[in-house]
Formats: sequence, structure tokens, C-alpha cells
Amino acid sequence: MKQIVRSQGFGAIIGVVVMLVVFSLIDFSGWWTAQTITNVTQFTAILSFVAMGQALVIMTKEIDLSVGSVYGLAGVAFITLEPSFGVPGSLVIALVMAAFVGLLQALTVVKGHLPSMIVTLGGLFAVRGIIYVWTGGSVHNFSADARIHPVTRLFGGELFGVEAAIFWLVVVAAVLGIVLRATPFGNRLLATGGNRESAESRGVRTDRVKIWAFVLCSLLAGFAGILTLCNQPQTHVTLGENMELEAISAAVIGGCLLTGGRGSIIGAVLGALIVVSFRYELIALGAPSSWYITFVGVVLIMAVIFNQKLARFLGHSV
Amino acid sequence: MANSNPLIQVKNLDLHFGAFHALKNVSVDFHAGEMIGLVGDNGAGKTTLIRVLCGIYAPTSGEVFFDGNKVEKFHPKLAIDQGIETIQQSVGLCDNLSIARNFYLGREPVKRVLGIPFLDMGKMREKSTRVIRQFGLRANVSADDEVERLSGGERQSVKIGRAVEFKNRVVIMDEPTNHLSVREREHVNELAVQLKEQGLLVIYITHDIFQVHKLADRIVIMENGEKVADATTDSMTAEELEEVIRQGGRVVEKREAV
Repeated sequence: MKQIVRSQGFGAIIGVVVMLVVFSLIDFSGWWTAQTITNVTQFTAILSFVAMGQALVIMTKEIDLSVGSVYGLAGVAFITLEPSFGVPGSLVIALVMAAFVGLLQALTVVKGHLPSMIVTLGGLFAVRGIIYVWTGGSVHNFSADARIHPVTRLFGGELFGVEAAIFWLVVVAAVLGIVLRATPFGNRLLATGGNRESAESRGVRTDRVKIWAFVLCSLLAGFAGILTLCNQPQTHVTLGENMELEAISAAVIGGCLLTGGRGSIIGAVLGALIVVSFRYELIALGAPSSWYITFVGVVLIMAVIFNQKLARFLGHSV
Repeated sequence: MANSNPLIQVKNLDLHFGAFHALKNVSVDFHAGEMIGLVGDNGAGKTTLIRVLCGIYAPTSGEVFFDGNKVEKFHPKLAIDQGIETIQQSVGLCDNLSIARNFYLGREPVKRVLGIPFLDMGKMREKSTRVIRQFGLRANVSADDEVERLSGGERQSVKIGRAVEFKNRVVIMDEPTNHLSVREREHVNELAVQLKEQGLLVIYITHDIFQVHKLADRIVIMENGEKVADATTDSMTAEELEEVIRQGGRVVEKREAV
């Protein structure tokens, strides 16, 4: 119990409980329907992948603003390259492209000693521009054959009776959570974000740790794009726009501190659940969809205040 | 106690940073089982010399021998692998990690399951718990507590404990007692003497000649990038050594009153 309370995700657990209670009280019949739950969990799963990668980067005291564009790029690549390379081929190429963007940005940040906020802001624009040029603004679809391809079904259909995205989320979140808490790499990642100089003095190659975090982040964003398109195989140029902001919000609501060294994978997932739930409940309540962004902003600020109070209460210096 | 072959031998070391001549023809021997007080004013070159020894700077010319072998490459990781540990006031521990995790940072023990390296938390806790008890941390501090809960003296104790545990051969302490309370300072100094008695080479850097004179076997005074004195503590008193620092000081040009 003490472990759970002291973990960075605790604030998000409270947040999810409070949110579910409030939504049940104000809109029980609208919230607890199969349709809402399916939609919320599906989109939570997709945002969670992006948020988990973002959390890893934030834990190393960096940030990645390009994830929305990378998500879009991987999705567009997956769909547009499918006729030439087949579903598995285009899937692999899309992931490699995502990882490459992450690697390029990481090397620029690490070797150039540049702030990641600026480098990945550049990445956000550059990659979005590539999407515009590549698609020419047109919409691409999967062919009927590609839609029923086993690989498409593996990532976009249902597995063991649950949405494939949820299944993959559970698997990947468990792996990342274990890597972060129970392997030397995780220890070094947290050390890099907590105190880089000290980590270096112990022989940790902090440059490599950061490069891995950026590459993982881009890979996860790319994978999220592929999951989205396996489920709804249609691209548009705005695919993934503003997603970086939702992902950062989710990670921060989930207890990641931008000062580095603190955060959790489960927190990022719960943060994504909160962000997505607000979107659906506001729509369900009939609020204009544009209110959604305002609410995410308010929830984000409340969460930061709450997480900070909680951290101080637990005796951390933040 | 010092044996005849020096553990670290520095010969005619010169180091330039651009036009700045940071170390000037420094030659000095350090023996295992010895405690050296490295003393000098700010900018005298103490820390620069140490940074060469722990692999951060490569010298412009001159040679460094470690255990009889000439050092060809200078890198912090290589120095750590050779068993040279540097303890600095502000660096070395990550506040956000537990004592156990800090203790093994960079060389974590692992248990392999299906080839995947998992942290051996049991071993990490057990060893670091033993060390924090041995080095006098409060009884209510556990190996799972984050380092940010520790006082300045406790942090130094963890770092020194770690230096002992990893079978190091050289421990370099850079101003280890800055910002510590009187009791904590005494404790750190006791630990330094213990390290020496276990046969390690301890290099203790400080401004405070009187403090280190009581502890060290030998005092090396640096000034202006040069070694200006090298004397055993039983051959010269602290007052005499202090006088050397005053006399050997840089020429400070006094401004004429306008």
C-alpha cells in the first residue's frame, strides 16, 4: 500500500476514481454504456501509447513535441505504402521511419547540446510538412484486401474478445513498466533525469539513455498511428494534430514532473484515460466539442497543482 | 606504511587550456595506504590535477603511471574501472532514487530471467543496508528511502560507503566536509582515516590546512599550477605549512589609490 501511495501514479489513480464517481453521478445512463466504454477505451489505448513514450522522455528531463506529427507520418506511411509493400512490409517501414525521426532528433539534441523543446518543435513542423507534401492533401484508404489482412486484424480487430488496441496496451505498458522499475536501463533513465551530472560520475552514458528514450517515444507514437489506422484505415493530413499536447497533458496528469526523474507508466495511461474521458463526456452532455480543449486545459492545471501538493505531502522537494 | 612503488606517479605534467597554463611541470608520487592532503588556494590547480587523475582532463604533456603502468587514455569510465573513486560535495547521488538504487548506479547487479537482465533488488537492498548501518546513518533510514531525505553528512557517508564497498584503490575526496555540521565533519574525517587504514590511497583536497594536517600523512601544496611544497606532516607543523601557502602566493598587484 505504501508503495502505491508513494508511486508517481497515485495522483492519477485518485483522479480517475473522482472522475468516474462524478460522471456516474451527473450522467449515469449516458456514461456507462457499451458504446461509450468501447470508444473511450479504444482512444485511451491509442493516446496511452503516445503518452507512455512522452513520459519516458520527460523522465529524462527532455520533451518531445513532435509525437503528433510522427504519429501522423507513421499512419500515412502505413496506408500509402501498403499497395507497394503489403501490410506487414508497410507496417515495418512506417515504424522504421518513426524510429528514424526519433533518432535524428535525439542526436541533434544530445550531440548539439540543444534544448529538446526547440529541436522537436522543428520536428513537429518538418514532419507535418512532409505529410502535406506526401499526401498532397488527399485522403487514402486501405483496399478491401488490406482491411481483412491478418496483420490489420491483429492490430485493429478484436483479440480474445477485447479491442486489439487494449490488448496491445496492456502488453506494452507492462513491459515498459517493468523495464523502468526493474532493469538497469530503467534505473539509469531515472538517474539521467534526476541528476545528470551524478549519473555521469557513476559511469552512466546519459547521452545513450536519452537517445533510447527519444527513439522509444517516436516508435510508440508511430505504433499508435498504426493501431489507429488498422482500426479505421483512412488517412487525412491532420492525423495526429495537437496530439503532442494531449500526450504531454496525459503524462503530466499521470504524475510526470517536467523537472525530470519522476513519473510512471501506469500514470501516463491513467492520464490518457482522464483526457479521453473528458472529451467523450462533454460530447455526451451535449457541450460544443470546442469546449473540450478548454476542459483539458483546466484539468491539466488542476492536476499539476494536485500532484505537486501530493508530492510535497509525501516529502519530495518539488 | 607506504611501500616503495608508488600507486600513482605523476611526472612532469603540463596542462594548457588554450593560452592558460593550468598545471606547470607537476611531479608527485602517491602511495597506497597513504593519506595525502592536497592544499592550495582557489585556482591553485588542485582540482585540475585531480581531474587528470580521474580521467576528465587529458594532460598536454607529461606522464601518469597507475600501478606501474603508463596511462594512455583518459576517460572517467576508465578511471572508475581502475578503482579510482572521486567523492565530491554536490555530485554523485541522484535525489530521486533510493539509497539502494544510487548505491549501485552504473554497475547494477542483475539476475537474468530468459536472458533479460533484471535488477537484483534483494542484493542491492541487503548490501546497501549493511553499509548505511556501518556508516552511521539514522536507524529509521532504510535502503528504500530516497536520497533526498538524507542530510549532507549522511549523503557523504553513503558515497564513502560506496567507495569502500566497491574495492576501490584510490579515493579522492574533493572538499568533503564543506557545508557539514561539526559532528558530521568529524564523522567524515574518521571515515577517511578508516579508508587509509584499509590500505587505500586517500587524496583529501581542502583549503583548511589545520584540519587536514591532523589527518594526513603528507601534505602537498599547490599554488598557481605548480607544486610548491611536499612534506610529511611530522616534518612540518601546520603553522609552517600555512606560512608556505602565504609566501608562495600569487603576486597580487595592488591598485594605487587614485
